[in-house]
Amino acid sequence: MNVIRLLGVCTLAYAVSAVPAAAQTKAAPKPPRPQISQTTREQAAAKNANPDALVLADFQKRIDAYMAVHKNAAKDAPPLKETKNPAEIKKAQEMLGAKIRAARATAKPGDIMTPEIRNKFRRLMYPVVQPTARDKAAPPSPVKDVPVTGTPVQGTSGKAVKADVKEELKENAEEQEEEGGKPIVLKVNAMYPPDSPLPSTPPQILMSLPKLPEQLEYRLVGKTLIIRDVEANIIVDFVPNALQ
Amino acid sequence: MRRSLLFVLMLVVLAVPALFAQDLTLPMKNGSTKFAVIGDTGTGDKHQLAVAKQLSATRAKFPFGFVVMVGDNIYGGNTPKDFDRKFALPYKPLLDGGIKFYAALGNHDDPSERFYKPFNMNGERYYSFKPADGVRFFALDSTYMDEKQTKWLDDQLKASGSDWKICFFHHPPYSSGETHGSDETLRTQLEPIFVKYGVNVVLTGHEHFYERIKPQKGIAYFITGSSAKLREGNISTTALTAKGFDAGYTFMLVEIAGDDFYYQTLTDTGKTIDSGSVHRVGKVDPTPNRSAQPVVATSGKDAAKPAPDKTPTTK
Repeated sequence: MNVIRLLGVCTLAYAVSAVPAAAQTKAAPKPPRPQISQTTREQAAAKNANPDALVLADFQKRIDAYMAVHKNAAKDAPPLKETKNPAEIKKAQEMLGAKIRAARATAKPGDIMTPEIRNKFRRLMYPVVQPTARDKAAPPSPVKDVPVTGTPVQGTSGKAVKADVKEELKENAEEQEEEGGKPIVLKVNAMYPPDSPLPSTPPQILMSLPKLPEQLEYRLVGKTLIIRDVEANIIVDFVPNALQ
Repeated sequence: MRRSLLFVLMLVVLAVPALFAQDLTLPMKNGSTKFAVIGDTGTGDKHQLAVAKQLSATRAKFPFGFVVMVGDNIYGGNTPKDFDRKFALPYKPLLDGGIKFYAALGNHDDPSERFYKPFNMNGERYYSFKPADGVRFFALDSTYMDEKQTKWLDDQLKASGSDWKICFFHHPPYSSGETHGSDETLRTQLEPIFVKYGVNVVLTGHEHFYERIKPQKGIAYFITGSSAKLREGNISTTALTAKGFDAGYTFMLVEIAGDDFYYQTLTDTGKTIDSGSVHRVGKVDPTPNRSAQPVVATSGKDAAKPAPDKTPTTK
């Protein structure tokens, strides 16, 4: 009986000590594994090319195709021009948006951000928010700055970017709350709700992604990365769980 | 008797803020360039209104000709109503008085704001303007700092013969903020260009407080991101900090006269929390290999202390 009791106490003690230890050593999320289709692999092999380069080239091709639609629609829409009346800006956006929507009426999630492009984007964003060699070399310090003189540090540390992302997400949520708390429904080809805040995206993340034409922009809505047409205010496509 | 006492009491209550507002130290020289700086403004809440009110009141004493906005001009929704509530109404007295606003885009702004005429962005994400002979401003979009934009800045600065070259944008390359801190990536992109062409002053926001940075590589940096939002106690004072204020809502007044850039930073109650001047030291020949050119020297309470070589310390 005593042996059973002793075993019970030992098990309990182990459990109590193991839970916080496990929490402390919570492993950083693993980097997303490359998911490249067989077709892309075969094409890459045939061209002696890097499969990732083909994925990004495919992304560029799809963006170009979208921009052809955008430019065609813009020919018949009133141009965005400087005005004192913000309603005119919104009206111009809506009219262009309606024409683009009509031209790509069957658009659906993944038309531009295909599964392998989504995966590539997740892999591009992942390292930006991970601790860098600089983070690992120096112990955490309340001072986030670099020495006033000396060699300038190249880039911001991953920890700082991650903290910044957290802060941005928090601020976005607060803004959302202040504006009435309506959830943002992400729907390809739909208008980005003008009464919802446009969440901000840290520049370090933006710099890690393929450059977009000036008419388009990336925005981080929670952990979802959207491509938004600025001139038409429509959601072009998105990457769910982009930030891992 | 009671009524008279009440009247006197009311007068005193009304006069106290006005007295603070009269506490201007700027030289107000004839022919100088006078302007104000506000940042992170577009909330439409009582704090934005309080700063806007004080800014308007101050103009009676300090007749600035334009206002520079360092980004986050419209937070949250951006319907036409939002433009009214978060910009046109708070600054109505100034807009009605013919004061021009020049905006830079912040991370919370919709880039389509550049088409809103009262922001005077000429439909561009980045642009420059020259309010007076010898003074040129360069507005940048620090959220999307790409090669095209840095090339544009390089070309513009190269072509500019202005004595005062002032850049303004949203993200601060130097900051002692606990929340965001210095944007070192942006610094790596922009600082060499600033140094090469002798940019004198950089005005930014993003951090919801006021901070004057000790001149870095001969350039004076100011953060004015608390004209409507505030992160109290967020400054982790470092060796970068010449003056920091994170206990109230602020705006800056600036006067450029000859080789001097005078600044005074006030709160929404009109209290002065920082003042001094930046002195321009000669012309700069583009020399990309030199790291510290004599562009500015500052005077003010903390300006005389040299920036240490060591890693900054906390307070």
